[in-house]
Amino acid sequence: MSGRKRLLFLGVCMLLTACQGPQNEEQKTSVRIGISLYRGDDTFINNIRSVLEEKAKEYERENGIRVTLDIQDAKGSQNTQNNQVERFIALGCDVLCINPVDRMDASVIIDKAMTAGVPVVFFNRQPVEEDMNRWDQLYYVGVDAKETAVLQGQMVVELYQEHPSAVDLNGDGVVSYVLLEGESSHQDSLIRTEWSIQTLKDGGVPIEKITGGIANWERSQASALMEQWLAAYPDTIELVVSNNDDMALGAIDALDRAGVTGVNVVGIDGTTPGMEALENGKLLGTVSANKEIYASAVMGLAVSCAMREPIPEEYPLTDGTYYWTPQEILIRQINTK
Amino acid sequence: MIGKSGKLLVLLYVGFLIVLFLMCSTDLIIKEPEKEIYQISVIVEDVRDDNYSNFRKGMDQAAVEFNADVRLITLYEKLDADQQMEFISREQQDGADALIVVPVDEKEVEDALEDKQVTIPMVILNAGPAESTAAGMITVDYREMGRQVAEQIHQQITVDSPVIVLSEPDGQSIMSRRFLEGAISVLEQEGYSCQIVAAEESHGWKAAMEELRTLPWGQATILAESPELLTEAAGILADDPVFAEWVQGLYGRGSTIPILSELDRELISGICITDEFSRGYFSIYMAMQALEDSGNRLPMVLNSYYIEKQDLRKPEYEKMLFPVE
Repeated sequence: MSGRKRLLFLGVCMLLTACQGPQNEEQKTSVRIGISLYRGDDTFINNIRSVLEEKAKEYERENGIRVTLDIQDAKGSQNTQNNQVERFIALGCDVLCINPVDRMDASVIIDKAMTAGVPVVFFNRQPVEEDMNRWDQLYYVGVDAKETAVLQGQMVVELYQEHPSAVDLNGDGVVSYVLLEGESSHQDSLIRTEWSIQTLKDGGVPIEKITGGIANWERSQASALMEQWLAAYPDTIELVVSNNDDMALGAIDALDRAGVTGVNVVGIDGTTPGMEALENGKLLGTVSANKEIYASAVMGLAVSCAMREPIPEEYPLTDGTYYWTPQEILIRQINTK
Repeated sequence: MIGKSGKLLVLLYVGFLIVLFLMCSTDLIIKEPEKEIYQISVIVEDVRDDNYSNFRKGMDQAAVEFNADVRLITLYEKLDADQQMEFISREQQDGADALIVVPVDEKEVEDALEDKQVTIPMVILNAGPAESTAAGMITVDYREMGRQVAEQIHQQITVDSPVIVLSEPDGQSIMSRRFLEGAISVLEQEGYSCQIVAAEESHGWKAAMEELRTLPWGQATILAESPELLTEAAGILADDPVFAEWVQGLYGRGSTIPILSELDRELISGICITDEFSRGYFSIYMAMQALEDSGNRLPMVLNSYYIEKQDLRKPEYEKMLFPVE
């Protein structure tokens, strides 16, 4: 081989070796996930947090990859959450799982994540579409709010169709209801209210709204509102439609205090206290997102992003970004005798 | 027109500005001291961190102050001593600079230290006074905690009322065991009859407590060995007001939010607590001291306090139970 050919051969070899770089890249042995919760005292979020921790351990055991979760509570402050995201990035988190405080204001988080090249899985509170379209490493896991609301409405419709007297308690042909709504800025709150009531109407339940109020997803606020309503409209309320279980439980607290029985209360979320109330016969029913699947999806997407692997097929994404968790109706057995 | 000396002055001024810029905004002239971030792994004895919420707040506060990167690790199986030892060696191998351990088995952890299996500083959070070669030790005397609760029961409830002790013999932590040892020693000395009740897996606490009600005791006092059992017992009383009438008092230990809420609702009569925030804070502080090889290595002992509903809003307890992050 002439000197020039030898040089050329060497050059090609070097080039080929360089091209093999990524294959030689060391397999990741640990994953660090930064999780920020909009409020740690929200029962549903707390349930999800617990399942997330279990799923992380499950993944660690099955795959031998150490999973570290840094879980922070933003305590309802977007500013705090932004700082937490900054700290997660500084600590070298591979991926962020964010339950945004203000879904309209996720752009700061997205900016920081994009600059650092850290993918983000949002959950429970859906950022606006414009923000979600800014990068292909942004995902959202949640429930379809319209489906939730329709299921909540259906549960009452079916009961009314089978046992009208179990819903129209005074038998006057009208079901008088009160409505407990979540935060006005939360997308689910508006959709749940609209479609739940619409489903009742479409299902032929003769409803009449007595009053309603915003209790910001909180049990104590709902309890205070319900107490007022019970005093203002004695012996009138037959149905309480609540945007979530915590507020439904607040209404039940007020009913218990006032010694009122028989009023039907429906919630959403299937939280642990909600399920207990369902078992005790205090809650008529709830719509539950399968928390196992919900948290598995958050963890599955997060770990895939962190490991730079394709998203698992078991989590089909709508528009390559959104994963909708399946839901089910949980209703108390009605004794009509 | 600017003269030669004028141009020189302008050049000097520009040069001065460049030097100022370099001094202020780059590392070229004044080098910022590099802050080392220490990795500290905290390995607890439980599978969940529910009982560590205030501890965590203290830990996080110290992490920010001392520039530490703290990871709290829970076990896969509750009280699995072997797994805890595996985690200790895994964290060490994965580059942790220091460890903080709430031991499942204090002796096993101590042996690992003595055998030099652990080569990085370790702070041990013990459940009672002990000798240790660890870099730091924070002790809460759980026997003393049990004694405190039992003395309060003795002051409030007559000896003819039996004390039902809710226990989990298969899943009993060192903390629970010592707490019960302390409580039962005082109660038996004072002449109380203590009945230890353990729920089987298939036969939950609710069923176990329901059965107790059918026994011909009249009223009884309940003592729960762990925060989980105390929360569960309070939940059962909350669901069943008739049952609540049968119970003369419910006592235990722990300062989780559910326990404090039930204490506030008077479903729980009294609890023994310790300053979990300080425990978390000082554990990081001690680990940092060990890493920087400064300060003494004297063990720290944290006191325990018996509180009831009326104490919840007292400033000294409020700060301890609801620490501001």
